[in-house]
Amino acid sequence: MVITMKQTLTMRAIEQKLRKADRKHARLYLFCNFIALMIISAYSTLMFSKTVQKVFPKGGDSRKQMYGIFVMTLVGCVVFTIYAARLFFRHKSKQLGILMAIGASRKRLRSGLFREVVSLSSFSAALGVIAGFPFVWVVWSLFRLVLVDSSEMVLDLDFRCLFASVAFFLLVVVLACVFAWRYLKKTNIMEVIREEHINEPVKELGRWCGPAGFLLILVGAVIGYYAPLIWMTLFSSYSPSWLAMLYAPVFIGTYMVMLYTVVYGWGRHKKNPYKDIISRGMMKFQAKQTVNNMLVVTLLIAGGAFAIFYLPTVGLTSVFLYKSYPYDYFYQYPADQKVPGEETVRELAGKYGLSLKDWRECEYISLGVDGNVEVADEGKRFHIEYHPIQSEARILSEDAYFALTGQETDVSPGTYLYVTDAQESSVWTDEGAGNLTNMVTRECISTEFAGYLHYDLLASATGYYVLDNEDYEKMAEGLTDEWRGHIVQFNADGRDSYQFADAFYDLFVSSFDESCEHTYFYDKVKQIVAEERGETYTIGEEWQISYDDTDNMNFKHFWAYSPSFRSLLLNEHLCLMGVLYMMFLFIFIVCLVTSLVVCYTRSQTIALNNRYIFDDLKKLGASPTFLSKEVRLQCGNVFKVPAAVGTGAMYLLYALLLYANDGKITVYEATGLLAALGIVALIGAVVYGTYRGSVKTIMTQLGIK
Amino acid sequence: MLYVKNLFKSYEIGKTKYQVLKGIDFHVAQGEFVAVMGPSGSGKTTLLNCISCYIPFDQGSIMVGGTKLAGQDEDTLAKIRNTKLGFVFQDFMLLDGLTIRENILIPRIIQGEVEKDAEELVDKLVALFGIGHIMDKYPAEISGGEKQRAAVARSLINNPMVILADEPTGNLDSKSSRAVIETFTEAKSKMNATIFMVTHDSFAASFCDRVILLKDGTLYRQLENHGSRGEFQDRLLNVIKEMSA
Repeated sequence: MVITMKQTLTMRAIEQKLRKADRKHARLYLFCNFIALMIISAYSTLMFSKTVQKVFPKGGDSRKQMYGIFVMTLVGCVVFTIYAARLFFRHKSKQLGILMAIGASRKRLRSGLFREVVSLSSFSAALGVIAGFPFVWVVWSLFRLVLVDSSEMVLDLDFRCLFASVAFFLLVVVLACVFAWRYLKKTNIMEVIREEHINEPVKELGRWCGPAGFLLILVGAVIGYYAPLIWMTLFSSYSPSWLAMLYAPVFIGTYMVMLYTVVYGWGRHKKNPYKDIISRGMMKFQAKQTVNNMLVVTLLIAGGAFAIFYLPTVGLTSVFLYKSYPYDYFYQYPADQKVPGEETVRELAGKYGLSLKDWRECEYISLGVDGNVEVADEGKRFHIEYHPIQSEARILSEDAYFALTGQETDVSPGTYLYVTDAQESSVWTDEGAGNLTNMVTRECISTEFAGYLHYDLLASATGYYVLDNEDYEKMAEGLTDEWRGHIVQFNADGRDSYQFADAFYDLFVSSFDESCEHTYFYDKVKQIVAEERGETYTIGEEWQISYDDTDNMNFKHFWAYSPSFRSLLLNEHLCLMGVLYMMFLFIFIVCLVTSLVVCYTRSQTIALNNRYIFDDLKKLGASPTFLSKEVRLQCGNVFKVPAAVGTGAMYLLYALLLYANDGKITVYEATGLLAALGIVALIGAVVYGTYRGSVKTIMTQLGIK
Repeated sequence: MLYVKNLFKSYEIGKTKYQVLKGIDFHVAQGEFVAVMGPSGSGKTTLLNCISCYIPFDQGSIMVGGTKLAGQDEDTLAKIRNTKLGFVFQDFMLLDGLTIRENILIPRIIQGEVEKDAEELVDKLVALFGIGHIMDKYPAEISGGEKQRAAVARSLINNPMVILADEPTGNLDSKSSRAVIETFTEAKSKMNATIFMVTHDSFAASFCDRVILLKDGTLYRQLENHGSRGEFQDRLLNVIKEMSA
């Protein structure tokens, strides 16, 4: 655009022309705002949608993870928005400075500058907010099309999602205005003109920084982990939330290690102190800014990895477990329910061309078992109380256990064996407890824990005890049907039929009355004991289920008598867990995209800030090979270190969590971890690809061929 | 035209205070072409930045055309920069997004609307400095010498009382340097412009009426040009040699 002499030459016309000429520099700023707002808008849209809110239990860990990662994403977006704004103003500063130098007052420049930054920031941010919705819709539809499509997956939005987007939109606009105001307030005009050349002041970084960082990480991790346990032991009180602050040394240590890595690197310069001296020298001026960025990226990648690791570790573990069950069909029910018997089930199977084999069934009884309970006092304090009747336990006789599993056992009178899975990962018994009470006659027997039996299908949160036949008979005397139950299992003869499993599931559920309309967290014994004490027994509202929708995830997962039909479990696993899995997949995509944008922006900043150094190096005769190596070294730190630390730390944490669950890593968990390793490689490949692309862009910008 | 009296200026870097100007006194008369020379760190650029109202000074006074700079508010200082002073920088400081004509007119645009007289003055200036052919080009499309001549034209567009030039030949080859210095002498002879130039270049300084030599923040000596340019340059070089000893 050339302003012809026929047009009036006004300040406004000049500002418009300069703005147009600056489009190239504004592009990165616009792009970053757009991406930040799109990500925040998309994340909050999905997070606050009724679809997700329904599936993620209130107060549950998965919901906390989702909110936690959202906060991290928010921080990441704020950081790269700030960097993009800073970068934009570094360039704009020269223009402002020149105009000030030749006599434009701040007042004269103010309106034009604010007009420009408000229009740029609000336009890009508004576009981002709007783009968030189609982004969610497209990604979610793709998930539904390619991966899972169930009734729970239907996207049901909530207007609350706009709160976060609008707040972030305002933040972006306000930030832009604050930057503009800061530049206009500068009194030294030469500083404004030379802003592009100003670097961080160099402060000598001690060589101790790196090793001390590692020490802090270790100390923080140990203190942070053990502090709540020590607190509980010392004060008989739940640990306060501020105790989490003791993890702070981990973050400080990580910062120090990264700072050291960026400034000195690890051990590679001792033999040749001049190696990479230019890139290290350049980085000295930007180390703190760069490391702040890297920490945010590390957090984002770690958040993304945490979300995505959920899929193989939980998903694969479940699938392998279902496949390992010795029977295709397994279910249990109280004796007072009119559940179809063998004949009816065989008849139903026949309708689907299926014959059944290996039919086995047995009886169990429910008794009260003693135990120690944590009783909450005032504040966060608690004390341990012994309750002679504490909770419900399901009991099998030696013969019943043999009839069901084919495993011969010899339980000594006055002892019990506890049934767990083959990996011994499902142990819900207190080995010190053994006083069993008949809840009808209040007859009591004292038993002792004598070891474990292994049968995956019986390993559940309710817990099964196997007693000596005589002890069992004694305790079963006088029990009503309400306290008795049946366990049934059988196999399909030949290829199993999903249609039969589905039909049988419907038949099975419809045969129960209202007395069984509760989750497996409900404990009949606890209710009786509480009522006897004059207390009210409640379980959280979020754990309510209803026969109205027996096909939804909550019902199938949490119903106290939910059957285990292998073909249903395998076929419906992805559908039932769909929203959960897809939300985590979505979080992963968002975190990864955000971190890549932060890395890209930062690497561009480094290149632009050091443009003059590269020009000087060219004049000193540096070859394109040498220059491209320097660019790669500069960018390498920004991309590779956070990716390695983020995924590595999260992988270790996941492995530790799986181990801490039950003191071992099962075969299934190990398989899940192996798959997670594949995801780590995938993240690495994506980060590497973006790094290569970023290097290429910088080389073009710096004119390195 | 320009009076500088007992000027002091210091910088603080960290906890250390550096006294850069230690009581400088001089004046520049209407139509005079004056250069300031001195070794690095002598305070030349700081002196120029104080006169330009780019940085505040600690003590003393600066008067441009009878107006004192000290104590003026931001708006007044901006007006002084715009109407009473003209600027030429070492690295030209042209706005990349504007044509040369627009760049030259910028100080006038800042004042308000561009009247016909300003357009006529642009035509006169570009003809005088031999840059008429690049009027519709952008800074990226012309040579360093042409950029600097355009910058000199820009500095004259508001008929300022003093043109302040900071190392105007610092980024130019000898041919371009000479062409730029000639624009100053043309401005002085044909427009009676007053020029105050900071330079390292004794060749450029030899075109001046007077050279002020600074050393360690104080005025070391002033030399006046009474004879030929060559003889004045020799005198200058001798004093510089003596100052460095």
